[in-house]
Amino acid sequence: MTHTIGRMSRRHLLAGSSAALIMAGAGSRAKASEPEKPAEIIVRAWGGSWVDSLKAGVSDPFTKLTGIGVRHDLTEDNEIRPKVWAAVDQGRVPPIHINWDTTTNATKSALRGITVDLSDLPNLKNAMETAKPVGLDGFPIVNTYGYVYVLAYRPEAFPNGAPKSWKELLDPRLKGRVAFYNDGIGMHFPAQVAGGGKLEDIPSNMAPAWEFIKQLKTQSPLLGEDPDFTTWFQKGEIDAACTISTNAREAKKNGINVAWTVPEEGCKYDTDGFWIPKGLPANEEYWAKQYINLALSVESQQIWLDGLGLPGVIPGVKPPAGLMGDPSYPTTPEDFKHLIRIPGKVQVENESEWFATFKSIMQG
Amino acid sequence: MPPSIKARYPLTWRVMDALEWLADRLWPRSMSRHTGWLLIAPSLIIVGSLVVGMIEIADTSLRTLDTATFRMSESYSLANYQKLATSDVYLTVAWRSLLGAVLTTALTLILAFPYAYIMVRTRSAAARKALLICLFLPFFIGQVVRAYGWLIILGNDGIINQATGLIGLDPHRFLFNFPAVVFGLVQYMLPFAVLMLAPALTAIPEEVETAAKSLGASWPRTMRHVVLPMARPGLIGAGLVVLTLSLTDFAMPAMLGGGSQDFIANAIYDQFFRTSDAGLGAALTLLLVMGGTFLVGVVLSVFGAGTLAAGRRA
Repeated sequence: MTHTIGRMSRRHLLAGSSAALIMAGAGSRAKASEPEKPAEIIVRAWGGSWVDSLKAGVSDPFTKLTGIGVRHDLTEDNEIRPKVWAAVDQGRVPPIHINWDTTTNATKSALRGITVDLSDLPNLKNAMETAKPVGLDGFPIVNTYGYVYVLAYRPEAFPNGAPKSWKELLDPRLKGRVAFYNDGIGMHFPAQVAGGGKLEDIPSNMAPAWEFIKQLKTQSPLLGEDPDFTTWFQKGEIDAACTISTNAREAKKNGINVAWTVPEEGCKYDTDGFWIPKGLPANEEYWAKQYINLALSVESQQIWLDGLGLPGVIPGVKPPAGLMGDPSYPTTPEDFKHLIRIPGKVQVENESEWFATFKSIMQG
Repeated sequence: MPPSIKARYPLTWRVMDALEWLADRLWPRSMSRHTGWLLIAPSLIIVGSLVVGMIEIADTSLRTLDTATFRMSESYSLANYQKLATSDVYLTVAWRSLLGAVLTTALTLILAFPYAYIMVRTRSAAARKALLICLFLPFFIGQVVRAYGWLIILGNDGIINQATGLIGLDPHRFLFNFPAVVFGLVQYMLPFAVLMLAPALTAIPEEVETAAKSLGASWPRTMRHVVLPMARPGLIGAGLVVLTLSLTDFAMPAMLGGGSQDFIANAIYDQFFRTSDAGLGAALTLLLVMGGTFLVGVVLSVFGAGTLAAGRRA
């Protein structure tokens, strides 16, 4: 990834970040009106290849452009949230400037009213519809890329080719060899279809989803978090999993033969994004916004998302080698036909119940 | 000329005099009838802080989450407790936690007692040192690292499966089930139990065992009728520590359970951090504290001895 940075000229960066940013209008007058620069800003991020990609694509170029350092806080996203909420509610300065978060989790903070409105980011003008959080007013969050909860599998375990349906996970030979997220995320919606239900019935009637998940339970699946999937594939613990393609791709990069597919029932499509908590000093909030604006430039998205293998929200970003036409890298309306997208608001309002139901099935 | 004070009294006496003078200023003799309260003040502060925390948790447990604003309700209700009472998943998780804690305690004590006994009674200094090293080395390694160690050893391509593969056996799934969690907990708790048992066994004079033998008791009878009863305070203390730590454990079920063997602590984490439902998380927390306290009370009142006898004479 670092070599890619080398190819990215400062001129491109400046143009790309549409330096409404900072440098818009250029000249000394504009610079004089810039708020005071903090020594650093803190961005919460996921570790491993996730933070490496962010650093290469956004953080390092941001520091190069502005001289402001970027510290990555690798606190788990679920664990930073209560800390930020408490800080905002108590009128303290939040512990981070920017939260890199799943859109579902970020929506909770937006509904709580503690996120800064990002509608004025100049680069949003170029952004695709997927940058906008569904079901929320304005831009309390900015989605920065999308991802698909694919069916990842070891080709040796599927000699007849890629599994065509999620129902193939019910094959007895896969008992104890399949894995899901421990809260069932990614699986609820395809299970609704595989169980004979309709997506329109979500959230009012999800009985078909739970019936299908009960069948999956008989397969004694492993349940884990993002890093577990990569590890389990590498250690030969599983043959198939419902996971974000990035995790399967990571295992593949490490020399493990892993492939992925979108079965006929479809896969859940979701997004991650950035948000800024209220309560920051005005100058720090300004520079945090500039960071997000830079992340929405073609150049930054290209480097950042090359590392993650995920489709961005700015037109002009080219798919990394090997992902052109890949089902986990949707870019055309045709690609999205097989993907399931449920508004974040519906998800957050019902997730507690969905998690509890999934857990009650899996913990039984 | 009489010698100076410096020459008459040693330094340590003068330091003690100074400290006594200071203590007299800070806590005058007139307050001496309250000295007992002063001595237990630190524990009162600690317990008081816990009580304040529990009141806060109890307050939160009576509020419900509004998923339209992700804020807790202003009004109180028993909705969270009703949810816990009517949900199969929490009953399953609570039962699993209890069963896991009891099994872990029993197995740990069975393994820890002979270990501690040999460590205390052996005449070989080398053997005692070896046993102490084996005890303390894992003690200084964190729980998460130890759990990872078991993932490496017991995994599908771990050392055990590689060894069994050499004799033609297919890989066996040792991990990600309830026995794996209990196994991990026992291994983690063993040093705690041995460390608590060792002083209790050391306090039993070896002559008592010799006397029992001289009166015709076999070694097993001596163990059963002399050593074990005399070691009861140590066994109860070790058992309580292991029981409460196991009941509230988070890491072993999370790492060795494969996501389907949650204990109550895992369910609490999910509510506080995953679904942001602090009310339900607080209700679970309160029930865990009450359940744990009840268990400890039962154990002390049934088996307690010595300083651990709950209001009874040993």
